Amino acid sequence: MVSVAATRPTRADYYRVLADNLPPQALVVTALGNASYLWAKLHEAPENFYFEDAMGLALPLSLGLAIAQPSRPVIVVEGDGGLLMHMGALVTVGAVNPANLTVLIIQNGVHAASGGQVLTNAALDLAQLARASGVALCENIDKPEALGDRLRGRAARNGAECLVLATEPDLETVRPPPTFDPLQSKHRLQSAIGAPRYVHTVFGGGKLA
Amino acid sequence: MSGVLGTDGDAHRPSDVLNALKRLGFGAVVSVPDGWLGKILVRIEHERTMRLVRATHEEEALAIACGLRLGGVRTALLVQNAGVLSMGAGMVSLAQRYQFPLLMLVSYRGTPDDAVFYHLPKGRATEPVFRGLGLSYACVDRHRPIGPQVEHAATFAEEASCPFALLLSREDIRW
Repeated sequence: MVSVAATRPTRADYYRVLADNLPPQALVVTALGNASYLWAKLHEAPENFYFEDAMGLALPLSLGLAIAQPSRPVIVVEGDGGLLMHMGALVTVGAVNPANLTVLIIQNGVHAASGGQVLTNAALDLAQLARASGVALCENIDKPEALGDRLRGRAARNGAECLVLATEPDLETVRPPPTFDPLQSKHRLQSAIGAPRYVHTVFGGGKLA
Repeated sequence: MSGVLGTDGDAHRPSDVLNALKRLGFGAVVSVPDGWLGKILVRIEHERTMRLVRATHEEEALAIACGLRLGGVRTALLVQNAGVLSMGAGMVSLAQRYQFPLLMLVSYRGTPDDAVFYHLPKGRATEPVFRGLGLSYACVDRHRPIGPQVEHAATFAEEASCPFALLLSREDIRW
């Protein structure tokens, strides 16, 4: 069990560190709610993919993205509630173990995006859980500077990394910029990475090009 | 949309499924296996041009497939119909909402040809649930070659930018 006591950094504290220490060419996937709204507010970029719902699926989607783009760092921000909803995804991450995937878990002990209902178990040691799932590099973090240290020290990694960030719940909905558009973020990211597009059959295609 | 796809000719149908995936440039398959899918997954695992990801749950598999497609890899899902019944939220809020073109090859358990008592409840619910989800699908015509039917399903998914499920019988997919 980990401490979920009083004074913890905010999501914004961690996000500022993340924005200041993003690895070159990193792709960032953010879960529903403030995970996406605040990241869009602080660091709107074509390399972001925003979830608008589909709770618990940011982590497995990021695993697929990391497999598809092995030369780019992929960073996913998932909540502890979302992780518990699809805990099996952690096992699959551990099995595939892509070295370009960094999993950031916001551990605030509540379902923040749906109003702050307390989790089934708010004090699980999620880093230990990730380690038991096969993710070799795991750490519980309670200071933003420690996140910065980990993001800067990326050199020789031979597997996925999971950093669990003890965080104060943020129940007030953050207002993202007017340009915030989760659906558009898909097309924008695909353009940013030069992903092949499907060419329609009437234009002589029928395949990705 | 539902119906029967295909043309003529025939061979070892699971081999034709695998060959169609290779010919169409599928770079990845994400799967939660069942009794019919187990052996073809081993074959896929040994293919040089395809990556197999074994997921723990079908909704998770769906999201992994979306991530692969987001990153530019043509991806197929191989799951049982029970798995599609349990991936509803991800289907509507992720795969369909974000218009991910995914080929879903689904073992169709609990039909009159697969009248195992514990599969029948899934068989009864499958097509009504697919229609309720707005999931485009077709049932394979076992009297026509499977390869073109896989290709038509994959093409539908891409042309319409949505998942498309092809419901398969035992002889289509069990190696």
